[in-house]
Order: sequence, then structure tokens, then C-alpha cells
Amino acid sequence: MSASSRSIRQVAARRVVTYAAFFCLLFWVGFPVYYMLITSFMDPPELGVKPPHWIPQEPTVENYREVIIGKTGQRGDYGTTTEFSRMMPALLNSTFVSVSVVLLNLLIGGMAAYAFSRFDFRFSRVAYLGVLMTRVLPALSLIVPLFIILRKLKLINTLWALIFTYTIFILPLTIWILREYFDTLARDIEEMALIDGATRPQAFRMVVAPLAVPGLIAVGVMSFMEAWSEFFFALTLTNSLTYPPLLMSFRNLHQVNWNALAAATTIGVLPPVIVAFVFQRYLVRGLSEGAVKG
Amino acid sequence: MAAAQARKTSAQERKHWDRKWIPYVLLAPAIITIVVVILSPLVTTIYYSFSNIDLIRDRTTFIGFDNYVELFTSRLFWKAVEINLKFAAIVVVVPTLMGLFFAVLLVEDFVGRSIGRTLLILPWALPWIVIGLLWNWVVHSQFGALNGLLYSLGLIDKYIPFMADENWALVFTAMASAWRQTSFSAILLLAALQTIPEDLYDAAKVDGAGMRARFRFITIAWIRPTLTIVLLYNIVLGFLQFDAVWVMTQGGPGDATMLISVLLYRYSFINFDLGMGAAVSNVLGLITMGVGLIFVRLTYRSQATYS
Repeated sequence: MSASSRSIRQVAARRVVTYAAFFCLLFWVGFPVYYMLITSFMDPPELGVKPPHWIPQEPTVENYREVIIGKTGQRGDYGTTTEFSRMMPALLNSTFVSVSVVLLNLLIGGMAAYAFSRFDFRFSRVAYLGVLMTRVLPALSLIVPLFIILRKLKLINTLWALIFTYTIFILPLTIWILREYFDTLARDIEEMALIDGATRPQAFRMVVAPLAVPGLIAVGVMSFMEAWSEFFFALTLTNSLTYPPLLMSFRNLHQVNWNALAAATTIGVLPPVIVAFVFQRYLVRGLSEGAVKG
Repeated sequence: MAAAQARKTSAQERKHWDRKWIPYVLLAPAIITIVVVILSPLVTTIYYSFSNIDLIRDRTTFIGFDNYVELFTSRLFWKAVEINLKFAAIVVVVPTLMGLFFAVLLVEDFVGRSIGRTLLILPWALPWIVIGLLWNWVVHSQFGALNGLLYSLGLIDKYIPFMADENWALVFTAMASAWRQTSFSAILLLAALQTIPEDLYDAAKVDGAGMRARFRFITIAWIRPTLTIVLLYNIVLGFLQFDAVWVMTQGGPGDATMLISVLLYRYSFINFDLGMGAAVSNVLGLITMGVGLIFVRLTYRSQATYS
């Protein structure tokens, strides 16, 4: 047997293995998501037929319409409920919370990261290590005192309780990533601007900030996702004002309308999914830098 | 002359802005809020764990180690630890191996690679609560996708009520967590794989290293730091997961999926025994802090070698 036919066979085998693995990936990621999607386009009686329909036979957008107008009607075995009318306000609340968290986080975190990166001051090392340490504290374990503090501040069951806590719990990661970013930005350019007569705020605005945009986007996107998705604080500090705990309360309804729930879920994950896909490049970079390099 | 003048004023201005208090002003909002919202609750939790908190009479009494003694001698706690260890084992092993598998796949050059890379982001972009719901649809006893699939393939003729079975419930809540962590791990590992210089492989080939040797001594060796970080992240999640499990089972059936975090929630918000809740918090905190310290040390060291 010639060497070339052996290498052709090797290449072919490699192809087969590659595509088999690719199929595994598609199935692993796609199967649960696909099943929820088809459920959201089915009439209730079609869910649960045996064997299941892998493609809805009479696709309908009725579930979406009902969730959006907030009234799920009598189809299948489910009764009428207006529970879903809380959905649209919750999505608005989630948007408000997430956008506020992103802006506050970039402002406060950016300032702190810049200070750590550019100034050598007393306690800078200790403070930085302290910030890093808070990153490994489980937020879950601080909930009881946090609840009491926020109750004293009369913030329980307000969006501000969430904005406040999310921003602060994301800060260590933000400071960590942005400091790395500021560190790698050429200091010489900034120094040059300073020598040429720019003040430090000017130098920051005109030189540092534009160069740091990718880092800022990565951090902004990550804090958006975190704020949109957070469940535990939203569950304990508010009465389902935002999307994640509300979704949980739909699931706990006496008679779960799984088709309406699928539609509600699909609508609610669109913002983070779109953001993640649009900013994919920045996100992967921020994620790996934040996680690995520190 | 004019230029020298300008330089002088700029130097003055710079001095003005570089005055010592500038970094403190920049840091103040971050540090103050972190102290109020993270550090002060931390101290309070430690204090609470040594107290008996009477919510009705609004009285907190110091009781020393009683909460810890009660916790460490309770059957429930050790059961939660055992369950949590099993859960964490799945959440560490499955995502790390599958993440490596997918990452190695997605550095290959093939049609569909970019689709694969994009799709990989999807589970990571979904909230934990949604992941719990998705897996609810997968394992449901009446219309679950998995039951449907097995039935369509003729492997079963009756749907299996997975979540009524204690072992299956634990396995599937862990698999839901593993599902998202696989994406996370693969994203990080893929980024690390992409930094391996191609000539390393060529040189190894010339030296006669086989595929397995190349994988072990180049690929794995190169991404070892990332692999370590991924492992640590997965371990921490194995002990901190709450959302997805809460949506799927709320700790049930019976106590089959009662992780330490679920026990914490039960003590604090169902029994309103805040002292015991705080004690569980601290135990959980110590576990993840231990892992976290290794983590900070590793990244700090790698940072030192980078610069």
C-alpha cells in the first residue's frame, strides 16, 4: 500500500471523527433549546403526544400573543390566568436594572481600576488584594445581613436594592479586568499627552478611554448578562420585580401552562442572547482575560 | 520661550492632578460600597453564626459554638455534604472533559466551525433559572424531550418519571449545571488552545512524536494553567449552585438534591433560624474561600510572570 493512500485514509478518518464530534456539539447544545422553542410554537394539546412531534404540526404564535397581552386563555387543560400580565413590566424592570448596573459599574469600577493602574499610593497593594479577595466570597452566604441592611435603608422590594447589590458584587471582577487593560495600554502615549500640556482628565478622555473601549465593552456586556440573569438576590430581596424570579413563580403556578411558559422564557432570554452574539468577540476576550490572567 | 512657558504650566497642572488624594478619590466609591455591602455583611455573618437570633422578640444572644456543634452533629448536614460532593463531582468532571473535547474540536479547521463557536456561547448566555427550566423540559415525566427521544427510538415503551427518582434527580440537576459549565470551560480552553504556536507541533513531528504524545506534551502542557482555572471554577460552582437546582427540584424529591446551598436557604428563609443559616453560610464560605485562595495565588503568580 502506498504512503499517499494511507494518508488519504487518515485524512478521511479525521474528517469523520471531526464531524461526529461536531454533531455531538450540535446535539448537546441544541437539543434542550430546540425542544423549548418548538414547545413555545405548539398548542397545549400537542405537547405530550406519544411519540412526540419534533416539528409542530400546526405551528402557532398564540402562546406569544397571550404572554405579551398578559392573559393566557383556555386551551388544553389550562384555565385562564392573568399571572402573565406581570411579564412585560418585569422585562422593563430588568432592562432598567441591567442598564443602570452597566453604567454604574463602568463608572465606579473604571475609576478604581485607573487608580490602581496609574498611581502608586499607600495601601495600594493591600487594597487591591482586598478587592480580589472579595471576588471569591460566595454572595449566597451574605444574604441574611444584606437583607437586614437593605431593610434598614428601606430598599427592600425596590429595584434599587438590586442595582445596588449587583453593581457592587460585579465590581471586583470589573476592577480586575479593567486594571489589566489599563496596565497594557501604552503609558508613553499618555505621558506624551501630559507633557504636551493635557491635564490628566483630558489625557484620560482623549487617550486612555478610546484605547480602552474593547475592555469597557467586554466588562459592560458581562455585567449586563449578570444583572439580567441574577436570581437569588432578586428572589430574596424583592417580590419578583424582575424577570428571573417571575419566571420561577410561573413555574410554581398550580397548573403550569408549559407552552406559555416556553414563550415567556424565549422572550426573556432574547436580550442576553442577542447581546452575547453581537459582542461575541469582546465577550470571549473579556471572559478569558478575567478568568485566566486575572 | 512660549513653549517653555506652556510646559511649565502643564507641569504645574500635572502636579495639581497628581496630588496624593487623587487615587483615594477615584477609589472611594468602590471601596466604600464594597466595605458596606460585602465586608460588613461578612463580619455580621460570622457574628450571627455564634448567636441565637430570636426574630419574634428581636433579640440576639451570643451562644458561642452552639450553632456549629448542632450543625456538625446533625444528620441533615452530613447528608447535604454527601449529596453536594456527588453533585460537585459531576459538575467538575463532565464540563472539564466535555469542554476540552469541544475546544479541541473547534480549533480544527472544518466547515461549520464558526457555527459551532457561536453556538457554544448560547448556554453560557442563558440565565441559570432558564437552564433549570430547559432541563425540566428535557426530563419531564409526561412530555420530556429525553423520554420522547427514547420512546421514538423504541428504547422504552413507558415514560420514565426521572425526577421522582432520587438518583436520577441528582444526576439531572447536576447535568443541567454541567451543561452551562461545559460551554464556559470550552470557551476558556478554546481561547488558550488558539495561542499554541503551530511550529511546536511541527517540531515535535520532526522529532517523531506521535499524536498522543503531541497532545499530552504540547497541548495539555500549554493549556495547563487554563485547565487548572477551569477546574477551580467548576469546583466552586459545584458548591455554590442554587438557582438551577431550586427551579428543578427545590431540593427534592425528599432531600435527594439538598445541596449545602439549599440547606442554607431552608435554615434562613423557611425555618427563619438565622443563626444556623449563618453557620451554614460560613461553612460554605470556607469551602469556596479555600478554593478561591488557591485561585488568587495562581493568577497572582501568573500575573507576576507575565509582566
